[in-house]
Amino acid sequence: MAELNLIIAGVGGQGSIRASHIVGIAAIREGLRARVGETFGSAMRGGAVASHVRIGKGVFAPLIAKDGAEIVLALELLEGLRNAVKFLAKGGLLLTNTRAWMPVDVNIGRAEYPSLEAIKGAVEKLGAEVVAIDATSLAQQAGNVRTMNVVMLGALAGTGKLPISVETLKEVVQENVPPKTIEANLRAFELGFAVIKK
Amino acid sequence: MKVSKLIGFADLIVEDAPGKRVLLMGNEAIARGAIEAGVSVAASYPGTPASEILETLALAAPKLGFHAEWSVNEKVAFEVAAGAAITGVRALTSMKNAGLNWVMDMFMTLVYGGVRGGFVIAVGDDPDAHYSSNEQDTRFVAFYGEIPCLEPADSQEAKEMTRYAFELSERLELPVLVRSVTRICHASGDVKFGKIEKPERKPVFDRHWKLPWRWNVYGPPGPVEKHRWLHGQMPQMKKLVETVPWNKLVLQGKPTFGIIASGIGASYAREAVKMLGLENKVAFLKLGTPTPLPEQLVERMLKSVKSVLVVEEGEPLVELQVRGLAKNVNPDVKLLGKLTGTMPPVGEINTDIVAHALAKLVKRKLPADRPRELIKDEIKDLVAPRSSTLCAGCPHLGSYWALNQALRKVGGKVPIVNGDIGCYEQGGYAIAGKEYKPSFSTESVRYPIEAPYETLDTNYIMGGGVGLMQGQFQAGYKDGAIVGVAGDSTFFHACIPAVINAVYNKVKGVFLVMDNAWTAMTGHQPNPATGITAIGEETKLLCVEDVAKACGVEFIRTVDPFDLKATTAAIEEALKSDKFAIVVARHVCTLQAQRQKKFVGKRMIFDRDKCTGCKLCVSFGCPGIIFKEGKAGLDPILCNGCGMCAEVCPTGAIRVEG
Repeated sequence: MAELNLIIAGVGGQGSIRASHIVGIAAIREGLRARVGETFGSAMRGGAVASHVRIGKGVFAPLIAKDGAEIVLALELLEGLRNAVKFLAKGGLLLTNTRAWMPVDVNIGRAEYPSLEAIKGAVEKLGAEVVAIDATSLAQQAGNVRTMNVVMLGALAGTGKLPISVETLKEVVQENVPPKTIEANLRAFELGFAVIKK
Repeated sequence: MKVSKLIGFADLIVEDAPGKRVLLMGNEAIARGAIEAGVSVAASYPGTPASEILETLALAAPKLGFHAEWSVNEKVAFEVAAGAAITGVRALTSMKNAGLNWVMDMFMTLVYGGVRGGFVIAVGDDPDAHYSSNEQDTRFVAFYGEIPCLEPADSQEAKEMTRYAFELSERLELPVLVRSVTRICHASGDVKFGKIEKPERKPVFDRHWKLPWRWNVYGPPGPVEKHRWLHGQMPQMKKLVETVPWNKLVLQGKPTFGIIASGIGASYAREAVKMLGLENKVAFLKLGTPTPLPEQLVERMLKSVKSVLVVEEGEPLVELQVRGLAKNVNPDVKLLGKLTGTMPPVGEINTDIVAHALAKLVKRKLPADRPRELIKDEIKDLVAPRSSTLCAGCPHLGSYWALNQALRKVGGKVPIVNGDIGCYEQGGYAIAGKEYKPSFSTESVRYPIEAPYETLDTNYIMGGGVGLMQGQFQAGYKDGAIVGVAGDSTFFHACIPAVINAVYNKVKGVFLVMDNAWTAMTGHQPNPATGITAIGEETKLLCVEDVAKACGVEFIRTVDPFDLKATTAAIEEALKSDKFAIVVARHVCTLQAQRQKKFVGKRMIFDRDKCTGCKLCVSFGCPGIIFKEGKAGLDPILCNGCGMCAEVCPTGAIRVEG
């Protein structure tokens, strides 16, 4: 593996930054070099958030170049599209949660939220693959809706595209979630993993 | 934005394990550098992107026995750290770009005599203004104050440089500025730990240490002689920067083209060189000290090549100095950068920007997929904008609702609402999906407000609003009410002198203080309104009303912004009063209440049949409210049952159960 460029996108409060740190820590644990760059708006919550995760020897800058991401992992559908259009490489993968977090712009009627079909069509036109899962429901199934980011990490692991072993990733998940939620998070990871493996 | 610290992080950051590799955010790496250097006193005021420096030090302080504090503002923080450094111990102060503006008075004077113990000023700049009101480049402040500036290229350098900055500070007896940017502060990278020093120095005081009246700028020989002393430190400073490991010149073969890249610019430039396959084909000077420059290294580069691209984040500080040096060394060398329009003069840079500039200069083509770019143009309209919002159930939503209701009733034709810095500044972020056109009216104009995010008419800096409103009053503005808003932390940081000024100069106007007990915007740091210190100890809780009363304010009302009616009534009464009136809207930050398991959500009912689609609830601005197919609704995941929107809904479609 020369290099992996991964973007984890979502809305502030969904846990995309935590998820990206988990991947970064796991990479370092496996002896790889890692950079995690965060780009987000000013707000505590509710703003568009994207973390750039870069793993590999020749990695210096914290940001992925345009069209340079092999994978966009989206915790929120529209944020998946936003980052795929800018960063997803030809032949790349958009792995996205199907759930929408409505922007206030849409609520007040100043913008329209694109349909899943439209998003799929657009990203496929760019020569990339789209895999969409209802991670929010899987997180609820795991017992805690806040484990949605870990469902998505499980799904990411399920693609087999990470240069990190599933065991290491699970280990780092366990260490980096509140102790009371470890079980729910591990269930969430397995549910995400399984849904992709199927 | 802050990611709450990982479990075991406090133990990790103080682990004396040289060689251990961990993933650290740039800010954490700066803190670790200070820990390794044996810092004794650290003081700061929160400000994105620099807040995690002191947050990390506050976790370490009780374990290692040093002092870490959230000061009431940056100026006080700077003075706390400077006072410690005068006694010979090592001290650090950290702040965001704008925070440095607050300390300038002390900064420009402290350098006339400098320090005894190492004093590091760690500043987080924010090119692209991700979370700042400007893009200022604070490296110029180091130039201005004649002190060295260190600029890291990644987390590892951030740690090494901070550690070294204490040594450098002690050698020069001057403060040292460590300038990072958002992409360092908030980017994480692998960091190798070094050894933790424990100097265990005893603080000492000597009024005439090496210079008479060292710590009293007016004491003989006076400010001019002390300025001369400061200036006299420059040759040594310049000599030292020639050999620091972060200034490195690579000249292989006979390249005709060179790159001088400072700080994170070097990280982008290295990747751009790789992208274009120019490895070993360009001369490369990586800079870690943009001021003073390693002049000999720069001159060697200038003598060896025909043209040079300067890559730096911020203003052309390096470029200007390189121009000066080129004049004597090689006036024919072509210098390119921000001054020539080769690099963009505003915003932040990245690998793509550097690669494009470089490609043009070496006449190479970057691979481009034109058909794909055309597809992107086609689909870009699908990408709906996402304006940032206050959190679901945020008390500020209630305050803004009440303020706008009251202004509609008794605010006159064109009220002015002056904003301030904190979560509530989102009251002026407006709606990204909406087009706002410039107006050329000669009269006051009132604009419709579709969401609380369109409330604030002015907004600049910490404490700015309560000052501006006084000028509007003194100018004789009569077209509407004059209002200022601020939060609790901002009140203590910057508003108190302005409140005294308002009373003293007989201002009439309404000052709404939204007290949620936390410095929430920057990631929930405690402040005097919280009643706990940086390291989590209980302390006296200061009350905005008590301070306001002591400042001579006669009209003070306290309300709970979750009670929309009472809050609206209090603001209305304040607007009608003929005094400088303060309304304190107090309700603890909803995220904090949830974290502390003190938030009790109500069971909300939404009756779709009763919803007329009037959108009043949507204009309340809560992200928990959605609007689809002509009707409102509650997002079951985001809504936390604060119940405020039930008070807004005129038809009873949104109700609280029971």
